[in-house]
Amino acid sequence: MSGATVNLLVGVAMGLNLLALASSRVPSIIRAVAVQGMVLGLIPLLMETHFDWLVATVAVVTMAVKGFLIPALLGRAMRSAHIDREIEPFIGYVPSLLLGAAGTIAAVAGARALPLLPEHTGTLFVPGALASLLTGFVLLIGRAKAISQVCGYLILENGIYLFGLLLINSTPLLVESGILLDLTVGVFVIGIIVDRIQRAFDSLDTRKLTVLRE
Amino acid sequence: MMPLVESLLRLLVWLLLAPLLPGLINQVKAWVAGRRGPPALQLYYDLARLWRKGVVLSHLASPGFLAGPAVGWVAITGAALLLPLGPGGGGVSFRGDVLLFVYLLAVARFCTAWAALETGSAFEGMGAAREVSFAVLAEVALITAILTLSVQSGSVTLATMLAPAAGAGAVLLAAGLFAVLLAENCRVPFDDPNTHLELTMIHEVMVLDHSGPPLAVVLHGAAMKLMIFAVLLVQAVLPIGTLSPVVAAGWLAGGVLGVTLGVGLVESLLARFAFRRVPLLLTTAFLLCLFALLLAWKGGGA
Amino acid sequence: MTPALPLGVAAATLVVSMMLGLRWSRGWLALVVAGALATAVAAVLVLAGAGEWEWRSTFAVGGERLHLRLDALSAMFLLLVGVVGAAGAVYAREYWSDERYPRSAGRGRCWWSALFVSQAAVLLASNGLHFLLAWELFAVCGYFLIVLESRRRDVRAAGWLYLAASHAGTLGLFAFFSALAAQTGSWELGPMREQAALAPLFWLALFGFAVKAGVFPLHIWLPSAHASAPSHVSAVLSGVALKMGVYGLVRFSGWLPLPGAAGWVVISLGAAGALLGIAFALAQNDLKRLLAYSSVENIGVIMIGLGAALLGAARGETSWGRLALAGALLHVWNHGLFKSLLFFGAGSVLHATGTREISRLGGLWRAMPWTAGLFALGAMAVAALPPLNGFVSEWLVYLGLFDGAMGRGAAAWATMPAAIVLAMTGALALATFVKASALVFLGAPRTRAATRAHESGRWMRAPMAGLAAACVALGLAPGLIWPVLARATGVWHPAWGTAEAPGPFGTLGTVHLVLAILMVAAAVGLGRRVHPRGLRRAPTWDCGFAAPSARMQYTSGSFGGVATPWFALVLRPARIQRRPRGYFPADTLHLQRVPETVLEHVIEPVGRAILRGASLARRLQHGRLQFYIAYVGVGLVALGAIAWWGDVR
Repeated sequence: MSGATVNLLVGVAMGLNLLALASSRVPSIIRAVAVQGMVLGLIPLLMETHFDWLVATVAVVTMAVKGFLIPALLGRAMRSAHIDREIEPFIGYVPSLLLGAAGTIAAVAGARALPLLPEHTGTLFVPGALASLLTGFVLLIGRAKAISQVCGYLILENGIYLFGLLLINSTPLLVESGILLDLTVGVFVIGIIVDRIQRAFDSLDTRKLTVLRE
Repeated sequence: MMPLVESLLRLLVWLLLAPLLPGLINQVKAWVAGRRGPPALQLYYDLARLWRKGVVLSHLASPGFLAGPAVGWVAITGAALLLPLGPGGGGVSFRGDVLLFVYLLAVARFCTAWAALETGSAFEGMGAAREVSFAVLAEVALITAILTLSVQSGSVTLATMLAPAAGAGAVLLAAGLFAVLLAENCRVPFDDPNTHLELTMIHEVMVLDHSGPPLAVVLHGAAMKLMIFAVLLVQAVLPIGTLSPVVAAGWLAGGVLGVTLGVGLVESLLARFAFRRVPLLLTTAFLLCLFALLLAWKGGGA
Repeated sequence: MTPALPLGVAAATLVVSMMLGLRWSRGWLALVVAGALATAVAAVLVLAGAGEWEWRSTFAVGGERLHLRLDALSAMFLLLVGVVGAAGAVYAREYWSDERYPRSAGRGRCWWSALFVSQAAVLLASNGLHFLLAWELFAVCGYFLIVLESRRRDVRAAGWLYLAASHAGTLGLFAFFSALAAQTGSWELGPMREQAALAPLFWLALFGFAVKAGVFPLHIWLPSAHASAPSHVSAVLSGVALKMGVYGLVRFSGWLPLPGAAGWVVISLGAAGALLGIAFALAQNDLKRLLAYSSVENIGVIMIGLGAALLGAARGETSWGRLALAGALLHVWNHGLFKSLLFFGAGSVLHATGTREISRLGGLWRAMPWTAGLFALGAMAVAALPPLNGFVSEWLVYLGLFDGAMGRGAAAWATMPAAIVLAMTGALALATFVKASALVFLGAPRTRAATRAHESGRWMRAPMAGLAAACVALGLAPGLIWPVLARATGVWHPAWGTAEAPGPFGTLGTVHLVLAILMVAAAVGLGRRVHPRGLRRAPTWDCGFAAPSARMQYTSGSFGGVATPWFALVLRPARIQRRPRGYFPADTLHLQRVPETVLEHVIEPVGRAILRGASLARRLQHGRLQFYIAYVGVGLVALGAIAWWGDVR
């Protein structure tokens, strides 16, 4: 029962990956990332057969941070920088969507070939993780605005988190807490950088950073 | 004698019920907007009036301008007769009829675009170009949906393919087919059937120069096409072919009504999308169908 | 009656026509038509079930005894050679007449007969050496027909490209046949599936024949050759000559043992070629170039069918493998018929207006109603619309692909994407041919040349009408040709021939017939309904725009402009534009052109790199004797070093 629900949630997360790739408006990318973070945060609660305070706390904290804190920060940065949409992405929306879909299919097909533990073969964890990693990379490579790139970074992190869930039985979410800490710091730093870029260049277009190459 | 009566009845169902759907959509839109709106039977009055009217032809139009709507209408009617109605099966049913179904709709598209280009108007040329181009993506999604059904049911006959429920990917398939329905019938968010003189039209702009009986034929064909897609969508998702005739008729009617309602609601609540986003939307529809296909594949094979 | 008699008659009349063609145009036409008729009789005899015909000579040609063989597979292609050969000869009588082209008409007739004979020889030859000889002759005849109008620079360039590409392909075939002869110890050809060691040779054959068939990305020579050649030559090159490549592939994939990847490679090449070919076609503004790219697409469709058949054969799947193969073979016929029809139509337009630019035409239906109607029919057929023949063959291919997908085997990973690509191709073909037919024949004439167009004479109309009738007949009565397809598939794969016809094949014909009758009836009925009330004619309403001019109509570029950007990654359209500036802009400019991408972006850079390397090597050749002697010394030392090193090892 819980296996099917977990798979459904990972499937929803994979769908949100594609949504993030297809949307041109920054708020909807942020929303997709937020929902994805919350969906993934739910999973540890469903996986445990017996209730565990530590797991529950970390899950709730994860959901709060990924679902509310980071999106709120991003939203503020977005408003202060007056960015609403991606105008000229490096990789267009249709190509990035097709790329993401192809990656998802390849991840599902390729995960079968990996030497996984028997209890992980039926789940979508590994494909979901791979697909999220790929989506994150596509967003990081294909978008010009720093905020979209931060969203790509978050999706990338969600993929790593999914990998971490495979170890949930052996390490009590230490990995995840570490990543989360790292991430929060990263987002703060990026928030500051975004602000600086905005002040220096009057735009958040990372292409303009090429003038700094000298 | 019986088969003849049966197919006559089937034809009458299609011909007579189809113009109801646009009327219902308009009712829904009026209700959401808090207006009274045109009567649900408005299209019937329009068709009757147009059929009696005379015709004004462009100086440039060849006989193909009149033949186009007629041939297109026959093609759409043929496609409608191939589509099964619940457990009654299709008017004609044979292995591979589903491909004929898809390509008959293509014939209708060819004819409409041809007739539009007869007039030599830039406006209508634009509509024709958009129609045939966006249909490329819609047709890909449609074939993927059909491939899904066919992998699921192990058949390429419409009657067998549409009988069972859609299985694992039902939601994905329904969403994909609904998007195809909206695109193929030029509804919001792809095109706005209400606007005239709006630079982002597809279907309406192609029939600008038609008048009188040819316009009636075009409008009736368009209504029938809408009903075809609604019936296809309902039967693809619900196991209508396996129910008893009375229950099936009820479910089918209810389903088509539901789809019509859905189209009306979408049209009331959504604005037409910018044109450059249409390919994105249709690609999404294709991907929905593709994932449904993979689910169908996995469901049966593993 | 054995096919020997009609084949002998055909050979005699055609050879005589080759000799007389230079001067005697009427006699030539009669002889060619008679020869074509005799060829067709021979082919029909075999196709109707007379069995395989073989003949070996007692004398030797080039050290090998002649060995001719006509089975159902080669007979299918031979019939096409006959039909299009005769139609083109009739068409050329008016299109490339002595009055209009006094310098080249006679030469054209001779080469036409030679092309006919050499194509038939390729199909009949069952000896590797003679196959190569006939193949080379066939390629050379093609070249001379393309450059009939050799005064024009683009024609000469196209001819050179054709010749170069064709010889690259022949090189592959040369390697193929000599390796085959070396491994089997004889030049004799025939079924040799059990000799598993021959399997790698398939790749050589694939390369050689794919160049001739214009399989993407080896099609580089095709668009310019087909666009620049005289239209009756384009028709035979596109309708028949490409099929010689297909014949080679089908023939040798049936005779040789196959490597495991063969089916995958062929179906992928086919899918890529179909999709990109039609994308390029949609982007073209030149009517004949558009048709040429559409040939690339149709060859792709044939390759998809053949690839599916190879996959089916490798897995012992009779049911869908033979459907796909039958579809591919039928598409060979269909494409031969409708593409010739379309090229004849394009030739009539060129004849009447002097231009192939779609954006300079328009409104031609009034001046040339016959051409317009027949071209529209051909356009519907090539867009695979029911109830015409193009749909029947694509339907078979689709059925093969769908059945392959439903089998849920590994082959489904090829057939499912192929089916989706085929759907996309079909819809793009529809867009392309709406554009090609409607923009040329409908609306208002865009230039003076289009206004002055005139209908072509009956010598040009008759072959078009004949081909159109064949398209309709194959569409309405597909059931009649199933035995032919079954025999041909039986030759390809012995276990596949005996199978029953797929049941619905006949039903499809009936449905097509009913549909066709209803369509005609509806069109006539609507016309009658409208006419008694009196037709009022007025300017195009166009939402009340009062002063439409012919130049405001949608052009070819704008029509294709919606869908071509989707393929910009491959098509790489080049754009030059000068935007309007200021309040009173003086002049603006927007030029857009889709290049021959594979040629200009792949082949030419590689060619330039090779040339650069070669010119570096040429520095060694400077004419100073002392250095040459030094070369000899260095060479001797090097040889000695190699010999010494060999000894040490």
